[in-house]
Amino acid sequence: MAFIRKSSIWIVYLVVLLALPQFFDSVLAISIFNQIAIAIVFALSYNMLLGQGGMLSFGHAVYFGLGGFLAVHALNMIEFETIYFSIIYIPLVGAFSGLLAALFIGSFSTHKAGTVFAMISLGIGELIAASSLIFDSFFGGEAGVSGDRTFGPSFFGIEFFQDVEIYYLAAAWVFIATLFMYLFTQTPAGRMANAVRDNPERAQFIGYSARKIRYISFCASGFFAGIAGGLFALNYEFITEENLNAVTSGRVLLMAYIGGLGYFIGPIIGAVILTLMNSLLSNYSELWMLYLGIMFVLTVLFLPRGFAGFIMMHQIAWVRGKLSSLVMPYLITSIPSSLFLMACVAMIEMSHTEEEVFHYLWMELNPSGLATWLITLFIACSSFYAVRLLLPQLKDAWERANTIPEKESFGK
Amino acid sequence: MTVLSLKAVRKNFGETKIVRGVNLDIEQGERHAIIGPNGAGKSTLFHLISGLYNVTAGTIEFKGQEIQNKPPFEISRLGLARSFQVTNIFARMNVFENIRCALLWPNGYNYSFWHLMGKQSELNEKAIQVLEQIGLEDKMHYPAGELAYAQQRALELGIAIASNAEIIMLDEPVAGMSRSEAQNTVELIRRVTAGKTLIMVEHDMNIVFDVADKISVLVYGEIIASDMPENIRADSKVQEAYLGEVTINA
Amino acid sequence: MLEVFIFATLNGLVTGLLLFMLASGLTLIFSMMGVLNFAHASFYMLGAYFAYSISLYLGFWAGLIFAPLIVGVLGALVERYGLRRVHQSGHVAELVFTFGMAFLIEEAVQFFWGPDTKNYQSPDLLDFPLFTLFGQEFPAYRGFMIGISISIFIGLYYLLTRSRVGIIIQAAITHPHTVANLGHNVPFIFMGVFGVGTALAGIAGVIAGPILTTFPGMAVVLGSIVFVIVVIGGLGSLVGAFIASLLIGLLQSYAIASDVGVQDLLNVLGLEFDRNHPLTDLWTLTLPQVAPILPFLLLVLVLIFRPTGLMGKREQ
Repeated sequence: MAFIRKSSIWIVYLVVLLALPQFFDSVLAISIFNQIAIAIVFALSYNMLLGQGGMLSFGHAVYFGLGGFLAVHALNMIEFETIYFSIIYIPLVGAFSGLLAALFIGSFSTHKAGTVFAMISLGIGELIAASSLIFDSFFGGEAGVSGDRTFGPSFFGIEFFQDVEIYYLAAAWVFIATLFMYLFTQTPAGRMANAVRDNPERAQFIGYSARKIRYISFCASGFFAGIAGGLFALNYEFITEENLNAVTSGRVLLMAYIGGLGYFIGPIIGAVILTLMNSLLSNYSELWMLYLGIMFVLTVLFLPRGFAGFIMMHQIAWVRGKLSSLVMPYLITSIPSSLFLMACVAMIEMSHTEEEVFHYLWMELNPSGLATWLITLFIACSSFYAVRLLLPQLKDAWERANTIPEKESFGK
Repeated sequence: MTVLSLKAVRKNFGETKIVRGVNLDIEQGERHAIIGPNGAGKSTLFHLISGLYNVTAGTIEFKGQEIQNKPPFEISRLGLARSFQVTNIFARMNVFENIRCALLWPNGYNYSFWHLMGKQSELNEKAIQVLEQIGLEDKMHYPAGELAYAQQRALELGIAIASNAEIIMLDEPVAGMSRSEAQNTVELIRRVTAGKTLIMVEHDMNIVFDVADKISVLVYGEIIASDMPENIRADSKVQEAYLGEVTINA
Repeated sequence: MLEVFIFATLNGLVTGLLLFMLASGLTLIFSMMGVLNFAHASFYMLGAYFAYSISLYLGFWAGLIFAPLIVGVLGALVERYGLRRVHQSGHVAELVFTFGMAFLIEEAVQFFWGPDTKNYQSPDLLDFPLFTLFGQEFPAYRGFMIGISISIFIGLYYLLTRSRVGIIIQAAITHPHTVANLGHNVPFIFMGVFGVGTALAGIAGVIAGPILTTFPGMAVVLGSIVFVIVVIGGLGSLVGAFIASLLIGLLQSYAIASDVGVQDLLNVLGLEFDRNHPLTDLWTLTLPQVAPILPFLLLVLVLIFRPTGLMGKREQ
């Protein structure tokens, strides 16, 4: 019974992973799910560094990308029958490539955390991205390297012609990778990674070399980033320099941070949000990167622990059964907030559009009309003012729901 | 038996000589207090013994093995634990995890990434025992950074004693505490360090004379006296150099 | 051969001094606040874009004066309302915040000015060859760039070492609390330093825009190299940043101008490799090809063997 209760969240996770294509089976949906699957593993591996181990990396794409390149090369070797195994093991090729790279790079980059580590990771990232354009025969230059996943022995008759077959394979790998990354946090090395993050000096006085602990986290992180790279290779059947450069490194930082560092589930949330934004929002607006940038900066400023942290802010209220007292304040504040948001978006889009009539939600706006602008501006200002008025009430309600009376204890 | 022995230990920071040739022997089971005016080099001496700083010259022997200039984690593994003057805990982890982490190495888990901590019942029981000793068992799920000051000091002590080390070094364990808190902490120190070697830096003379059975006086990086409490109190050199500014009425 | 060398040196000097203008602001901000400002090159880009817009109406020289001022004010606002807020969450959060600003500024620039390259021109006044050597002309504008950079270095040096403000700033670097207790408004000093640092980046953008082209990717191109310089020079050391800037500028310039590769080395050694060898990329590597990665190689080597940088004293 205890086992079932403990693993219930994992069973739910597995069921969700497996059931998704049953509900959304369009080509677009499957392709988005595949991207999410890859992003989850990648973002979780990043969180092992930054969230769990306190190492801010600007070059995590290196392990993802190298894993991916080796995986594509392995696909090609399967195709030309240099090696012979089923492509379902391709993520392992990526994993061990990532691990090897991390073993080497970590041996000198994990001396220090903080700024020095961040700078080394940036340097290594730029170094490898730039080198990849020089070494054409391995990295394929700007065009990248492509492969074909349909060769090699079939897996119980599945040939992986379709994306949905890859999705199930990816889902399996995502589940395994997530589980092992979670279990890692429960081991002495994983727990000491938290301790070194919090206080590397004190960790040394309880018998641990801070550097060695960082090195272990770093290698594990490279290993799992490599799995993500391998999944990428399987899904897209090609990989380019872009997958190991600073853009990809930056994106994974955004995912983990927006989702919430320090919480295991945070990067999963971040991976889902960012991938959805990337694939859905980009259909509606070419400015989605601007919105992403704004969202990221606002997250850093106002939700330093990300979306997961925001959810966890309600843990005490939840335990005390006071969550319902927050529904109304949230609802009331959300009306002017969403008005404000919509007005801002309308102004941003109107100033950018080149069309005569701008279709926004159900409305048709005239982007060159003064009246349209004044009205939108008025809505933005007044709703902002309303939010300012309502915010203290929301804060009060939240504090009432979250304050533990002296005698009540905060047991788990 | 001498467990810790410092011979002509020196430490310079650039041109400044902070520790200027310290010789000190500490016997097994001794409760040894190091006192001295501000800036005498007491904390520096602690940092040298525990490996945070490298010595400029001299040797430090722990059970006959030279430990000077070894990294802190190696010294800690030999059985020398310490606490810090400024609270030095793992702020974002909860109280239980703070203690459990301190127990890992002494219980042979090393760098394991194949044991699941939840399943190590013996380890978890030991952690609870330590928490009971320091009186924080009802706060075990609180993030350490959110504890009250005195509780953080108790946790600081708990991390130091959890390893069951032979030598425990406490750097101003009651600094910043009220009289009653300090009294409680002294009781706690007595209880948890029973049967072990204790080295302590402390400014509160009442506590020093209460706890210590041997006192060394460090002035300007040199030990000017090292003796039983009653002899220290009578020592004219000490009176002149140090105690002149503080009257002792233990 | 000699002409190649001389022109490579001059171009290296121009690049190096330009890099220094960015690096000096970054160093100043770092030594003051302990923050490596990831968005520094973005302010440089803003400088170029503002100057471009101003130059359309008022000409280049007005841009040279006003653009850095606008950038400086923007920088001060970012410090006041952004950085100061995340400061309490620690250095990692600060670094992440400036990273987010870099991302946001790049998108904002594309929003306001569009994704294409802007035709930002150097002033006609300086459109003549400063001198001609071996039949090759050295444009006066490049000479002007060298002049501006050197005067900034001297000005900054004097400001920091001789002036009252400089002394307060130096004191605030090492003893912020003492300086605050003496009645100085340390947060205001921080904001000022951040503003001045970003304004310096703005000047660099104004004068580099016409030569290095004004486009939304110009921050990324220089951003990481400026970081490399600050780290190689030793975090917080102005002199170190100066040396490292020139070093990187010259190194890249020589590497690009040189015409040697592994092939030549192998020829000297009397070795030969088949064109179809799997490592053929390695045998055909040339120095101009590796020029872009040299700064990063240097960075990694410095961080491994001398983590404090060339002139750095402080360990993180």
